Amino acid sequence: MIQRKSLIFLAVLAVVLIVAPIIFNATGNYYVVHVAGLVGIYCILCVGLNITIGYTGLLDLGFMAFYAIGAYTGALLSIAGLSFWIVLPISVIVGGLFRFLVGAPVLRLRGDYLAIVTLAFGEICRLVINNFDALTNGPKGLPRVGESIGKVSFFSFTLQEDIHFYYLILAFVAISVLISYRLEHSRMGRALVAIREDELAAELTGINVARIKAIAFVISGMFGALAGDLYVHWIGFITPEQFTFWESVLLVSMIVLGGMGNIVGVLLGTVLLVGVPELLRATLGTRFVDYRMLLFGAVMIVVIIFRPQGLLPSKRRALELHPLEKG
Amino acid sequence: MFIQQLINGLTLGSIYALFALGYTMVYGILLMINFAHSEIFMVGAYFGFWVLALLPVLFPGSLPIVIVFIIVFLVAMVATGVLAAVVERTAYRPLRHAQRLAPLISAIGVSIFLQNLIMLAVGAESKSYPDIFKNEPYVFAGISVTPLQLFIFALAVSLMIVLQVFITRTKMGTAMRAVAQNHIVSQLMGIDTNMIITLTFLIGGGLGGVAGVLNGMYYGSIKYNMGFMPGIKAFTAAVLGGIGNIKGAMVGGFVLGVLEAMAAGYISSDYKDVIAFVVLSLVLLVRPTGIFGEAVTEKI
Amino acid sequence: MLLEISEISKQFGGLKALSNVTASVDTDEVLGLIGPNGAGKSTLFNVVTGVYPPEHGQVRFQNKPIHGLTSHRIVQLGIARTFQNLRLFANMTVLENVMVGRHCRTKSMLTDALLHTRRFTREEKEIGDHAREILDFVGLLSSGNELVKNLSYGNQRRLEIARALATEPALLLLDEPSAGMNPKECNELLELIDKVRSRHIAVIIIEHRMQVVMTISDRIVVLDYGEKIAEGKPAEVQSNPKVIEAYLGTG
Repeated sequence: MIQRKSLIFLAVLAVVLIVAPIIFNATGNYYVVHVAGLVGIYCILCVGLNITIGYTGLLDLGFMAFYAIGAYTGALLSIAGLSFWIVLPISVIVGGLFRFLVGAPVLRLRGDYLAIVTLAFGEICRLVINNFDALTNGPKGLPRVGESIGKVSFFSFTLQEDIHFYYLILAFVAISVLISYRLEHSRMGRALVAIREDELAAELTGINVARIKAIAFVISGMFGALAGDLYVHWIGFITPEQFTFWESVLLVSMIVLGGMGNIVGVLLGTVLLVGVPELLRATLGTRFVDYRMLLFGAVMIVVIIFRPQGLLPSKRRALELHPLEKG
Repeated sequence: MFIQQLINGLTLGSIYALFALGYTMVYGILLMINFAHSEIFMVGAYFGFWVLALLPVLFPGSLPIVIVFIIVFLVAMVATGVLAAVVERTAYRPLRHAQRLAPLISAIGVSIFLQNLIMLAVGAESKSYPDIFKNEPYVFAGISVTPLQLFIFALAVSLMIVLQVFITRTKMGTAMRAVAQNHIVSQLMGIDTNMIITLTFLIGGGLGGVAGVLNGMYYGSIKYNMGFMPGIKAFTAAVLGGIGNIKGAMVGGFVLGVLEAMAAGYISSDYKDVIAFVVLSLVLLVRPTGIFGEAVTEKI
Repeated sequence: MLLEISEISKQFGGLKALSNVTASVDTDEVLGLIGPNGAGKSTLFNVVTGVYPPEHGQVRFQNKPIHGLTSHRIVQLGIARTFQNLRLFANMTVLENVMVGRHCRTKSMLTDALLHTRRFTREEKEIGDHAREILDFVGLLSSGNELVKNLSYGNQRRLEIARALATEPALLLLDEPSAGMNPKECNELLELIDKVRSRHIAVIIIEHRMQVVMTISDRIVVLDYGEKIAEGKPAEVQSNPKVIEAYLGTG
């Protein structure tokens, strides 16, 4: 299972993740802590999307819609006065429910078509949120003037600063990673990979493909909603601008860059594609931001042509793609 | 109201049809969704804009409108055709035999790259298309048609007829149809498939570029991210007609244009974008082969 | 009768792949299914395993109708198969491929996996043990941790049989299992099929290699252009003029 070397690495990593922010905060580098929190949110998103793309092999181009559903559900319930700890599970379940409704028709499709329909659904979701002013306040976002998102309290301690939320997010990242890892190394995890490899053969080996795909799809959506709800309680507002199609694409590229199916690779991809640009933006200024997307597009093309297995491929993936590289 | 929206719809549909041809031709020959085609459209619009800005400088005094139009469309067509072919050569060809979703991912990367390249080169604000002629509408019985609308429709139909003739009556066109059916057998028949694929991108890209210029003229302004929405709609049109089927793209374009105009007129302008996505989802879910397409079965 | 196929017809557009085919297999029997290319043999397998439903006719397994059921349900009921063109899970190890075969015979759910319940740990061990036992049965135990890509072609075919056996079938459908094998591998295959029979698993085998199918089959059914043209013991079928004509053509 997990070897000694990996355990030591994990322990060191845990210490760094817990202690470093305190040091950054103490030395006045508040922005670093803020970025770390943001990276954490994206990590949760990518853990979720990895279940769909990495484990099951379905290209999902509309994942941000579920982030939005989680965020808006969280915002509306919080504005109505419910506590964070009640709102969180509700948002997650609502996200899962919508995912189920979307999945029912969509999961029958293959490859390209499935990708395009997820894109379409994601856009429909964004357009509806953008126009359904009565519920969502349209482009102005939530909360409306005069309302506010409720505070998060842990026993008697109210979370105020970025660093407080950082630890909350870190805890959820750890839980998400654990869930993903246990899923991967289980009967269902093997079934998912079998479906990714050859759906028909999986069905004819006794796997209820439709059901397993649906479960994986719903679970991944729940992670999206979780991330959205955490975000809105931290930052305090949400607008439709924040979940465009290009954001969904950004998520896909984190997974492709990091190494599809490999949870560590995916997290690495997230850190690189979210953390690095955000930190560089602070040091290099706005000019950099303009070039970031350009560079990003180029990186996507280069990676998929020359190193499609990503930075840290799952050992399976690397061996899958190498023979093709010679062709 | 109905006739008016029909006229608007046919105009819009002309643009979508030309635009959709690029998607369908590439899918027919490579079985890939050329996600970057929407940026080809956008670049075409910009080339049109630059030519229109440059012409009065190069030729002071007024040129006949016909000449202006010819130069604008020719430059846009050639520029976008070449760009499309270059994209194919650099970003898609290396992935011909890669895993099935790699070309789509690469295409998305190209799309992001081109959008931001233009944005950095010319700025993020929209630019207005100059008026080339006085576009006074003809009005009768409460319906108005502008000369531009007539022109767009006429140009689109003419180009589609030329394409149809090319595809069915020329050797090159037949070769294109052959490669779309079966790469290996075509090669055995002596066809240079790579050249045919490049040609497909040249033509499809060129038509997309023309659509871009027409879009710029019709709406009066262009912007670096103008390609995304029309691109999705054109793609929807191609799927509706039967992806891979050239006649289908033409028909699908007009159908979608009319549907959108009707929705804008009778339902609401806000939700008109949703129409395309809803149609797209419905077609892919209920009848993915579209109006003219054929189902492909896998031998198990 | 373990499996009864009655008057099955299947059409693809204008092509009649199967016309009124009737056949049966009993427990402990090895039935050979032969016929020229395109005769409908794989199509028959596809109909029996629920890949597509027949237009007419019935399939009954252990006296219950199974036509129209989903494929995974049919596997659960006890019919497993291999494929003409090998469909292994290329990027899993040999052991993992066989473990996937155990999926339909195990029950632990997602919650068990997430919480590492006792049921989860117990079942994971069982799955691993069962899979290793089957690999041993087919002679691939030493390759357990290899990636499928690295196996020889003959071993890949054996692995597919192992994966099918892991589902604990009462009936095993083999689609041209000896394709691409050399004579030594063919003999090993014959031994393996014998071993399978000794476990009271019935077998239907599609084959083009006459020496394989004639040796191992108790009975043979011959298809041509989607119709059954002969049935009987190997020796009878071999000398049947209609069969000879189907393979060699007239004149």
